[in-house]
Amino acid sequence: MTFNVFWPLVEFAARPLHQDEQDAVLGDSLEAGDSFGKALAGVLGLVAHRQLLRWRSWRPWFATFLLALPASYLLVYVSISVACTFGRLMGMKIGHWAPTGHEGFLMLLCHIFLLITWSWTSGFAVGSVSPLTLCSTLAVCCVNFLPYGMHLRNESISPYYSLLFVAPAIWGVLQGKRTRRLSLPIALLLASTMTVLTAAAWLNGALWIFNWLLICPAWFLVATARRSGGDWDRPSTSRMQRSIRA
Amino acid sequence: MLGEFEYLLITTAARLGDNAYGAAIREGIEEIAQRKCSIGALYTTIERLEGKGLITTWMGEATPERGGRAKRMVRVTGKGVRAAKEFYDSVMRVSSGASWATSRTGEMR
Repeated sequence: MTFNVFWPLVEFAARPLHQDEQDAVLGDSLEAGDSFGKALAGVLGLVAHRQLLRWRSWRPWFATFLLALPASYLLVYVSISVACTFGRLMGMKIGHWAPTGHEGFLMLLCHIFLLITWSWTSGFAVGSVSPLTLCSTLAVCCVNFLPYGMHLRNESISPYYSLLFVAPAIWGVLQGKRTRRLSLPIALLLASTMTVLTAAAWLNGALWIFNWLLICPAWFLVATARRSGGDWDRPSTSRMQRSIRA
Repeated sequence: MLGEFEYLLITTAARLGDNAYGAAIREGIEEIAQRKCSIGALYTTIERLEGKGLITTWMGEATPERGGRAKRMVRVTGKGVRAAKEFYDSVMRVSSGASWATSRTGEMR
């Protein structure tokens, strides 16, 4: 083998594949003595094909275009709004950032709580609906940041503040991927609290009207927690994976 | 009806018999058909054929030259054999009378 140094890259590229398929593909490449480029291209081609197959289901479309994309778009703005309010309350000179960013301390706390719970519930919903296409979903969501970085170029705060929501969102995704659904009392409590606080923030002029959409994932979690049967939470698996398990 | 690559894969797997697995099939296709066979195309086709019930697969043993990784073994089913024969017969029927086919047949005689 002439590509020992780069082999971990090929192994890393194969990680989205099922463990048995990783063994078969990587073992075949090693046995055939493929060059690094050939092995990597083969693995990437297979991974891309597997990802495309998963998009034949409704789940990735729902998770990406109805949950992740609109939620991340709105959460970018909420993150900036929270950062603006915090900076202003700390005595920093912050330019006007309509329509929010002018709240008091209590409303800031409320806003921070909402930012965390909106992000977490959105992430949880995405992770539970389509856990096998998270990489593609993430890639699509990155589109949100391209125009936003440019938009903030003249603002007085760093564009990095637009990423405040990322940590709770990732936490939610991981939780959603693992547990798949919340128990009904917890989901109800969370959604109700979020709705009340969203209403409170809205009445105090601390929210953009579209922020109301951010409580939808929380109520989605309530709706899915209610169901005792059905197959909505079973991830689509490839035929190979099913046959291997069998 | 099978596609050309599907036919190649089934035929190569059938020829290899009990030794039919990913790397061996790939090598066989490249050797016989004189064409490159990517791992992606190979495993995508294997999965499709398995879905159609034309082959069955299972995980075999691991060997040192494979870095201790298991093989994915392949066996052609009866349905796969029939599909391959149908493809072969179709190619023979459609080729009869074509100049290259008759001259090839003449050579073989």
